[in-house]
Amino acid sequence: MKKIALLLGVIILNLSISGCISEEIENKTAEEPEEYEWEDDGELVIVTYDVYGLTDDMISQFENETGYEVSMLKLDDASSVLDHLLQHKGLQVADLAIGLDNTYLQTAIDNNVLWEHTATLNNISESALLPYDGPLAAPFDQGYMCMNYDTSIVDGVNYSIPISLWNFTDEEWKGKVAIPSPETSSPGRAFMTATTDYFSNDADNETEWTDWWTAMSENEAIITTGWSEAYETHYTGGYGEWTDGYVGDAHAVVSYCHSPGVESWYNENWTKSAALDLPRASFHQVEYAAAIDGGNLGAASAFIEYLLSTEVNSKMPTENSMYSVLEGIDLPEENGYRYHSVIPEQPAIVNSTTIANNMETWLEQWNSAMVDA
Amino acid sequence: MKIRIASVIALIGYTSLVVAPLYLALDRLVWVAGFDPYEWINSLSQNYITQGVIGFTFLQAIMSTFLTLLIGLPIAWQLGRHRWPLQSFVKSILTMPFVMPSIVAAMGVLHIIGPAGLDIRTEESTWFATLIIAHAWFNMALVIRFCEPVLSTLDPSLEQQMRLLPAGRTKIGRLRNLWAPLLLPSVAAAACMTFIFSFTSFALVKWITLGDNTLESVMASVGSSAGIKDYMVSRNEIILGASLIQFTILLASLWLMSWLQQRRQNLLPQASEVIVKSANPKGWLIIGPGLLFALSPLIAVLWASFRVRHTDSTGTTYEWETSGWEFAFTATNSLPSGWDALANSLGYAGLTLIIALPLGWILAQTILDVEKQRPRLARFLDILTMLPFAASSVMIGLGVMLGMIRIDAEFFYSFWATPVLAHIMITTPFVVRIMLPAIRSISPEYDECARTLGIPTWKRFFLIRLPLLRGSILIAGIFTLAMSLGEFGASWVVTRNSDWTTLPIMIDSLRSIPYNNTYTAPAACAISSVLMIITLFLFTWAEKFRPARDGGMF
Repeated sequence: MKKIALLLGVIILNLSISGCISEEIENKTAEEPEEYEWEDDGELVIVTYDVYGLTDDMISQFENETGYEVSMLKLDDASSVLDHLLQHKGLQVADLAIGLDNTYLQTAIDNNVLWEHTATLNNISESALLPYDGPLAAPFDQGYMCMNYDTSIVDGVNYSIPISLWNFTDEEWKGKVAIPSPETSSPGRAFMTATTDYFSNDADNETEWTDWWTAMSENEAIITTGWSEAYETHYTGGYGEWTDGYVGDAHAVVSYCHSPGVESWYNENWTKSAALDLPRASFHQVEYAAAIDGGNLGAASAFIEYLLSTEVNSKMPTENSMYSVLEGIDLPEENGYRYHSVIPEQPAIVNSTTIANNMETWLEQWNSAMVDA
Repeated sequence: MKIRIASVIALIGYTSLVVAPLYLALDRLVWVAGFDPYEWINSLSQNYITQGVIGFTFLQAIMSTFLTLLIGLPIAWQLGRHRWPLQSFVKSILTMPFVMPSIVAAMGVLHIIGPAGLDIRTEESTWFATLIIAHAWFNMALVIRFCEPVLSTLDPSLEQQMRLLPAGRTKIGRLRNLWAPLLLPSVAAAACMTFIFSFTSFALVKWITLGDNTLESVMASVGSSAGIKDYMVSRNEIILGASLIQFTILLASLWLMSWLQQRRQNLLPQASEVIVKSANPKGWLIIGPGLLFALSPLIAVLWASFRVRHTDSTGTTYEWETSGWEFAFTATNSLPSGWDALANSLGYAGLTLIIALPLGWILAQTILDVEKQRPRLARFLDILTMLPFAASSVMIGLGVMLGMIRIDAEFFYSFWATPVLAHIMITTPFVVRIMLPAIRSISPEYDECARTLGIPTWKRFFLIRLPLLRGSILIAGIFTLAMSLGEFGASWVVTRNSDWTTLPIMIDSLRSIPYNNTYTAPAACAISSVLMIITLFLFTWAEKFRPARDGGMF
């Protein structure tokens, strides 16, 4: 009996220790800094996902120029960056968040996890400032999300090129469209946001955006966890066919409108993929760098300024496969990068506040639309 | 019987390490989702992402268990009853898949079924079978390790006697009346463990059966946004529902497993392997394909590390090159070099060894100390040590992360040794499982005898226990090193907040580079090959120290 009591004691002791910690922290979390108080410890911790523009050379140059020591916390994707900020609210370990996009930014702002940066920014294009133009975040790259299709199959003969999103619910597209889930992927989330606008502005007043998703689910659309699975594993038009695990059962996929350009750039001016530019069916995605509440504001602002300098930001297309946010800097013409990239004539118009206010409801509606199908 | 201080400290340390993160995770999830177990379970059928997950998890785990036994038992029989050239090398190859990182296995399997191999990947109907076969590849080591020692040391006179009896005249009769009752506890224990590992499968499911998830993989995909007040509440419900089901099923399996392990200790007349084993040239028909089966995913990975793709407007060609290896071992584009990852991996493995080995040993000793007088308490402790098998890595990861945030996030995130926490959690149960039967097999008479001779405790330890346990300690140590080197899931969850890359994490990072140059796939395979070669070396080495009848798991 003694031993059982001892064991129980050990376990209860453990639980109570963690219980004490838990109460203490809840109190800490409740306190919000009333004004910015920060110390310059000479270090800059960046929380990001695999943003390939942050190369070693570029980081070392920043370290040499400013004297700050940079370290990075690399997460899976933009959604993990927001999750990280919310989970560490009031107890942040990082100074700068890089990679939140305009479907996540407003949620971060509403939750008071960002600080106003002090960087001086010049020459930012109007389009990049469209979703958000304030001191809590600075845009550093951008792109448009839309349907891509394989031109070797969707050639107008075997498959007709869709002229409406409803075409994808036709029999010929059964099981042939890959879409990253809006629940687990930021490109999926961006595309779902575009569909809310697309279907509220189409000629048909009978159907809702959720009806299209239900129809897509019934038409066996391939919903994947992330963008990589949709593009690399399922899509027949991209570089995925050279990767392990390639299945190649989708002739259309949700990706960037400039993805065919990137394909071409890496394959010496050759691609069989093309972007489908339908009015309001694409989403203008802007990615941001933002100073984190409680962090080293000086270092964060210095990095934002560096990231938006012409020298660094003009390399976004080649280093990060995204558009620069600077005025007058386009994709390179080399290897057909610019030629194969489409800038949508009429992207969806959904502002950040609408997105932040409605995202959870949209996701619930999306879920019901897909489950009911 | 007195409880020793070392035992108490080990127990406190271990429960803090295992129970505290689980408690923290549960506490936080319930704080967000509210306490409503019915709703948690219900949420699994109400969400698109979790539809059909429960059925799929059970089906694949049961099918995987059957196939693993079907493949593993004939191999175990051949290894146990017959002599083979290079026996320890053969055995280490056949059992090595179990410690291979699942991501390496996934890469190998995908190569084999891909266009350069069987070219069946595009057939969706083959995915389920591929997963089951991959699980059998992974877990056949369990069947071999559990059954082979029983077979290889059983006194042949038992079988000879059986032949004389009416019930043992035919092969079937002997199978039914001798081998089946003898092997049943071992087979059932191996089946239990296979079921557990298949039930919680993550990487293989993620890569092979696209669109179908296990409870574990679904939790991993929604895990990052869990535990945030008023944000994505349904995800917290999904995780709680999935964990509740998973925990109940796995705890029941572990209990069964522990019960069977105690059953297995009935002493049988033993004989030397030399007497037991006979030559059997026909056995190559089983061992040969077995070796091929065990090696083919690994050969595929090595082969792929030298194949580099070149694509341009004229088409695609593959060349034999070492540039994938060069790319892997050069630090570029924000990826550390393979050397850094190797150094980190070796450092973590060493540190894990120093902590997990004594910890597991003391825990095993504690279980045995209380076993005689309190078998139920011993079983409780036994299951407690196996808890990390039952808890999902998402729950552990989330708990560890919350623990770190609450204690001192900045310190833990910048502390090099943080990932070791996860490695200790994963490897300690294996040390316990290896040490338990080894310590159990030491006759107490040695100690009693020495005591009557007045030999002090410390001397008894060095002169009797240590030499007797040497083989098992070395195996436990090597196993800990191998498991730590290959550990992916938990370190991925824990180290996602730090910048310390290990070999398996680097494989994953290389794999997830989109649009990058053509070196990333061969580079991922190059790092996998390094991991594979180290593991093969460790395992072949470990075989030298294996006691004749360890009766343990691994």
